[in-house]
Amino acid sequence: MDLTLNEKRLLGVLAPPGSADPASLAKQLSVPLEAVIQYAYLLQDRGLATVKRTVEKHYTLTDEGVRYAREGLPERQLLDSFGSSIPMADLTRHPLAKIGIGQMRKKGWITIRGGVVEKTGTSEPGDDEAALKDPSNEKKGTSDLLRRGLLEESEEVSYHISLTPEGKGVCERGIDTREETGTLTRDQIISGNWEHLRLRKYHIGTLPRRVYPGKIHPYQRLIEEMRGILLEMGFTEIYGEIVQSSFWNFDALFQPQDHPAREMQDTFHLNERAGLPPGFEKVRDMHLHGGTTSSSGWGGKWSEDKAAQCVLRTHSTSLSIRHLAEHPDPPQKAFCISRVYRREAIDPTHLPEFEQLEGVVMDEGVHFCHLLGYLKEFYTRMGFTGVRFRPGYFPYTEPSVEPEVYVPALGWVEMGGAGIFREEVTAPLGIRHPVLAWGLGVSRIAMLRLGLQDLRLLYRSDIDWVRDTPSLLPGPGTEGD
Amino acid sequence: MAVITLYYRYLERLTGADRDVIISRLPMLGSDIERLEDDHCDVEFFPNRPDLFSVEGVARALRGFLGIETGLPEYRVNPSGIRFTVDPGLASIRPFLGSAVIRGVSFDEEAIQSIMALQEALHWAVGRGRSKVAIGIHDLNQVTPPFHYIASERTRRFVPLDYREDLSMEEILGEHPKGRMFSHIVQDFPRFPLIVDDLGRVLSFPPIINGELTRVTPDTRNMLLDTTGTDERAVRTAVNIICTAMAEAGAVIESVEIEGVRWPDLSPIIRYVQTAECNKLLGTALTPDEIAGLLRKMRYGAAPAGDGTIRVEVPCYRSDIMHDWDLFEDVAIAYGYQNFAVGISPTFAIGKPHPVNVIGNLVRHVMTGFGFIEVIPFTLSSEQVQFSHMQRPVRKDVLRVMHPITEDHTLVRSDLLPLLLEICQVNRHRELPQRIFCVGDVVRGTITSQKTAWVSIHPAADFTEAYAHADALCRELSLSFSVRESDDPAFIDGRRGDVLVKGERMGVFGEIHPAVLAAFELEHSVAAMELDLKALPGYPVSPGTP
Repeated sequence: MDLTLNEKRLLGVLAPPGSADPASLAKQLSVPLEAVIQYAYLLQDRGLATVKRTVEKHYTLTDEGVRYAREGLPERQLLDSFGSSIPMADLTRHPLAKIGIGQMRKKGWITIRGGVVEKTGTSEPGDDEAALKDPSNEKKGTSDLLRRGLLEESEEVSYHISLTPEGKGVCERGIDTREETGTLTRDQIISGNWEHLRLRKYHIGTLPRRVYPGKIHPYQRLIEEMRGILLEMGFTEIYGEIVQSSFWNFDALFQPQDHPAREMQDTFHLNERAGLPPGFEKVRDMHLHGGTTSSSGWGGKWSEDKAAQCVLRTHSTSLSIRHLAEHPDPPQKAFCISRVYRREAIDPTHLPEFEQLEGVVMDEGVHFCHLLGYLKEFYTRMGFTGVRFRPGYFPYTEPSVEPEVYVPALGWVEMGGAGIFREEVTAPLGIRHPVLAWGLGVSRIAMLRLGLQDLRLLYRSDIDWVRDTPSLLPGPGTEGD
Repeated sequence: MAVITLYYRYLERLTGADRDVIISRLPMLGSDIERLEDDHCDVEFFPNRPDLFSVEGVARALRGFLGIETGLPEYRVNPSGIRFTVDPGLASIRPFLGSAVIRGVSFDEEAIQSIMALQEALHWAVGRGRSKVAIGIHDLNQVTPPFHYIASERTRRFVPLDYREDLSMEEILGEHPKGRMFSHIVQDFPRFPLIVDDLGRVLSFPPIINGELTRVTPDTRNMLLDTTGTDERAVRTAVNIICTAMAEAGAVIESVEIEGVRWPDLSPIIRYVQTAECNKLLGTALTPDEIAGLLRKMRYGAAPAGDGTIRVEVPCYRSDIMHDWDLFEDVAIAYGYQNFAVGISPTFAIGKPHPVNVIGNLVRHVMTGFGFIEVIPFTLSSEQVQFSHMQRPVRKDVLRVMHPITEDHTLVRSDLLPLLLEICQVNRHRELPQRIFCVGDVVRGTITSQKTAWVSIHPAADFTEAYAHADALCRELSLSFSVRESDDPAFIDGRRGDVLVKGERMGVFGEIHPAVLAAFELEHSVAAMELDLKALPGYPVSPGTP
């Protein structure tokens, strides 16, 4: 048992008498009375002592009470002031009439008939008068006097401390009452003096004030986890401009110029214009009539000015397609996790900017089974064991697929889009081999892993949320079916 | 996205399968079930498949997918003898017209609602909000052929749908709800498109509104379809989808002669595809017979034509088939995405992180080592936060967005520090000290690069803390730098410093000015720093892909 020094010292002085009043113990220990009582209670918690607390009530007369004790209660004085009867009008002139008349009637000493007050003949001294005579301890009339404000009540608390048999045993085994040391000093350490010190032991049940480590944001940590997976899988990371020409964001991806996603309702347009890259005509021809491929193209018109208009990138596919245009030789495995922009009003599940995980594999002989394989590998490594694929549609991929993961509480959750770049996308840029491509929602994984209901929390950080979110995030623990 | 309401009773009757089978298989055909109700479900189909925007079209696809009826659906078109003329004056306004006669329909209110829904979905997906294609359906018995598509005076009057009195076409654009909604498509033309019968009575003012005269009611038995637009292919698509859906519902389709050409042409388009190319794309080993069988499940006519070639008849309503790979995707859907042998490719490549992120992560290590917490603010910001709250002049090369949604997001950030102060503002009731940092993209002009910034807010934050941490961060990042007194108005005079790298100002640190604190409603002093990561050794010269 780890007794504090104070507890031990109390045991030391308590042991010889076996039981004592705190006052005498306080005197011996030279500490305040309250301290002795506090230590005694700690000993009681450990079963080494018992503390008997006694409350005694004391009564003292108020000033008014002292006067009446000397002169008699007002009703007694009033009763003694007249004979067997008196006209009411005369009695009310007595200075004590106000209190006295009511009390006399209540006690049944008088009756009032036709404006005349008559004694009934009974006027024995009551309990209240007895209590007034000897107020110090509680008796029948005490409460009456308290009510009339003639008496005041006070409490006196006294303690008596006794050793229990266990306490006696501890004392008999001997108590070390040397001074305790809190902070070890340099001198004590190098002199070797620490050997003779009693180092204070701390209470393990008392948590110290919380400290918060510096930390990487939980969302960034998840992004790093995903980066790690793709780097392990042999992908090169790419990085690029937030501002893209419509050419790279849409046209190079065979998104028709009148596609609804290109309108200002969905995309952040900018005043700036960007030059079109050399060879843009091949992309234009692909839109107009399918270029040199078996495709029919979109037909209609194609405007250079529309292609030159800058936008905030609406997907990171604009980065992959530029990367592939600059590196058309196989093999290529590239990825990025970057911010993309959609013109959406902010609510708990929609934001105007969010992260997208983009990946491409370009190589001779890669095909649809490989695409599904990369997606399944990624999600499995992220801890999602149930992965399935559904047909999807994106203007720049064929076939297209929507991967879904199984989350026990939610069922199948859609995670993004993927597919093989259409020949209409690759041919004008001189890419001669199939390109497997995907754009996956990163914030959706974050919501699942961080248990978030509101995406806004990721970007308008509540510092307490970051402080309280552990660095080690458990996996989703999903089961497929 | 197009969400189509499918009533089970009608869908079950047209498909020949019960609702449980339909609901379980529909997503694997390429759709999202949005809602399941007692008598119907709402299903979202992809915008490239407008042929699925009607119950009839969905049932047609399902019959194939479920193996109930496979191969090409054939549609007979008999001549109606009705002619249409087209005014050459429309060439620069709205040149293309498609048409058909649809006989023997028996509509209840539900069926009328269904065809109206198809029409609206086509207006959206094919018609691009009626600008590219607009569709009108009329009660044929109310009017007298031949019909005329003309470029009319803007003042011509007729009674538009849902009105009792006649209005001029200009009045319609100003007053009629549909007129106001679509006036932008035609208002700049000197004359307006108009469809009239041989007696000069108005059927339609495309793409705005039909006439009240030819309103379709439950009593309508014979209908005239008009489809006008600026793109002939899109017009054809809309006509074919409506006609084949009506034929699936039991109607008889008859042709109309437009300037000598018979409309509609519901015959298939022939394509030849190669077995090897299909297998190469999908990673399968299918035989020509198997591929043809899978295509027939998707309602193509398909048969091997020797040497691994497959002859495919593409139904007239499949406007999305632009390329052979579009057919191969349908082979994959019929094969079942769940049936592919998935596995990653043997492509060999060595993973390599981008230097910008390598640097960013080093900054994170150093800053968390100082005890700072990372935050990830938005990149969209406002002039108020970026400049006026900071007492800084607006940068000339700030990038503004053209149509902001809120006044909080009018431009792309060029500095990170203001956003950290904004986060302190959000957290001003949280325990102090707060030490936060961020690493991220900023844009100057149209060029993206990365910065880092940190702030420390607590009652004892001061210039010394700012300087000591600025110095430590720069040392940890091997930055050869010098400092000089700064004149940045966001900081207190005499308590601010610039970080100079090769003589260029690449960072600033110090104690934030009390007026800036007040602007962000902060009540304690703040030590802060911002550093341009372009200054660091190893930061790529061209920020793009390596």
